[in-house]
Amino acid sequence: MTRHVPPINDLENIALSLRRSVVSMVDSVRVGYLLQGLGAADIFTALFFSELNLRTDDPNWSDRDRFILSTAHNTALLYATFAHRGYFPISRLETYTRDGSELEVNASERMGTIIEATCGSLGQGLSVAVGMALSLRRRGSEARVYVVLGDGELQEGQVWEAALSAGSFGLDNLCMIVDRNYLQAEGHSDRVVKMGPIPEKFESFGWNATEVDGNNLTELLDALRSARATKGKPFLINALTKTGAGVPFLEGQLSHVALLSPEDAQRALAHLEGQGK
Amino acid sequence: MSAATARGMGGFHDTRHVSPSALSARSYGRALLAAAREDERIVCLGADLSASTQTDLFRDELPTRFFMMGIQEANMVGAAGGMARAGDIPFCHSFCVFITRRVYDQIAMQVAYPKLPVKLVGFLPGLATELGVSHQAIDDVALMRSLPNMIVLEPCGPEQIGSVFAAALAHDGPVYLRLMTSSSKPDEGNLLVPFTIGKGNIARRGQDVAILAAGIMVQQAQHAADVLNERGISATVVNMASLKPLDDGLVAELAQTHKLIITAENHSRIGGLGSAVAEVIALRGLRVRFGMIAVNDVFSEGAKLAYLLEKHRLTGKHIANTTESLWREHVKL
Repeated sequence: MTRHVPPINDLENIALSLRRSVVSMVDSVRVGYLLQGLGAADIFTALFFSELNLRTDDPNWSDRDRFILSTAHNTALLYATFAHRGYFPISRLETYTRDGSELEVNASERMGTIIEATCGSLGQGLSVAVGMALSLRRRGSEARVYVVLGDGELQEGQVWEAALSAGSFGLDNLCMIVDRNYLQAEGHSDRVVKMGPIPEKFESFGWNATEVDGNNLTELLDALRSARATKGKPFLINALTKTGAGVPFLEGQLSHVALLSPEDAQRALAHLEGQGK
Repeated sequence: MSAATARGMGGFHDTRHVSPSALSARSYGRALLAAAREDERIVCLGADLSASTQTDLFRDELPTRFFMMGIQEANMVGAAGGMARAGDIPFCHSFCVFITRRVYDQIAMQVAYPKLPVKLVGFLPGLATELGVSHQAIDDVALMRSLPNMIVLEPCGPEQIGSVFAAALAHDGPVYLRLMTSSSKPDEGNLLVPFTIGKGNIARRGQDVAILAAGIMVQQAQHAADVLNERGISATVVNMASLKPLDDGLVAELAQTHKLIITAENHSRIGGLGSAVAEVIALRGLRVRFGMIAVNDVFSEGAKLAYLLEKHRLTGKHIANTTESLWREHVKL
């Protein structure tokens, strides 16, 4: 199947739009994960605007590619992605985390199939992805399964059960992206638990693995192409991301629930506005 | 070392711990296989306990729909959630304690909350095994009953497994099946026990006291009723195989027609059948004396079933004695 890959400039502009939405959403309600959303915006752009085979007018299409956000709290970015991809109007982002809104801090299946699994209790998303990949393979579906985990989440034991399982079943329709931003609630993730090399761990579990600059769309797209071409093994992309990416005065900051002053929010938005090509 | 690791090392999960006669009956395994032959969506997941959970029958006949997940209960339940979201009807198997308490959050988030048709099938309910405290599920009903969307079923024996299985399969949502490996075969004749979710079955009609039981305790309750009859007390015995939803209407009816209600379960007295019946009695303001036969709030050691039932005062004789004493002290003045 020939895949249409949009020009890189278009994708970069989309990533800027997602980042602007993330800043606006978190700023307006003073809730959510700002630095993480900015850091992962390129991963979400590469997946939703190039890689994933989706039908926005038919979210239940049985052969759609599946996407699971195992770290379900990074949702300012997830909802911004859905809106900009056309699943719902961008204006709906204004309801983010407001009482009664379906756009909760942790995404749940009450939103319908676009949330493929209710995660947020960390460590569960890869197991769900394994199950989906097994079922889709049994049915002969060409659909693929993508799951994004945070690097801190790799501390959960269930991830390694699922990693072993995916390798053992040879699930080449499964691709996992680790958002390696070194940030968890307690601070720098390697100061909480020393993780050591991630790709090598997965390779020893029967995966193919690669490491990329997670804020470089070209590298991300190349890695996703490699994942799609891999036969007989699941594929890991260890995406080295920078928290706050795209906004220089926020880049590399390690604050789990950073909130900006109104002036800094405006500065961030102004910077992102100025970057469009 | 985890309990699962210990299990893997000991070889407890092979057939040597299942009696030959139980293997020949295997009502659950046969029911699952028969249904799967007819329904392509049914898939079978195991956690290194195929023989003990009677799923080797499925494995040998339908290998492409059999998934041996290894000693990975958390991953098994998560994967089942993924399979169900992709359109399958997964049946997950292990011992009761590992298919509930060990994987409670996975069940809550990947099965119960999304209301998926994942069927969790546990063996070794309550105090039932020499394998000891690690393998005894005395809190599984309490745990599963408190999950929204979850159905909890415990057939009285092989004679009811077929009908309970059919109801579990037909229900479009999560079900926990609490099964005892039985040494007897179901009677293929008219003694098969019917089942409807949310309904209890009156196994025997009496007038004075009603004994509500589940699982193997139905048989103990029948024995108690025999003993009580000899002592001049007429007992109704009810098979409460539907632990959730409970047959509230039947409880209310029994409370109006009997002076004493006794519950009997192989489970902790906290959160199981007794608690469920007590909730109905209290919330409906039913005027009836109530007693509970259950495992006290203690852990147990491993031993043979008969020894454990005797030690924890769960036998028909103990049910009869407790019932008689409550009857004489509080009811028949």
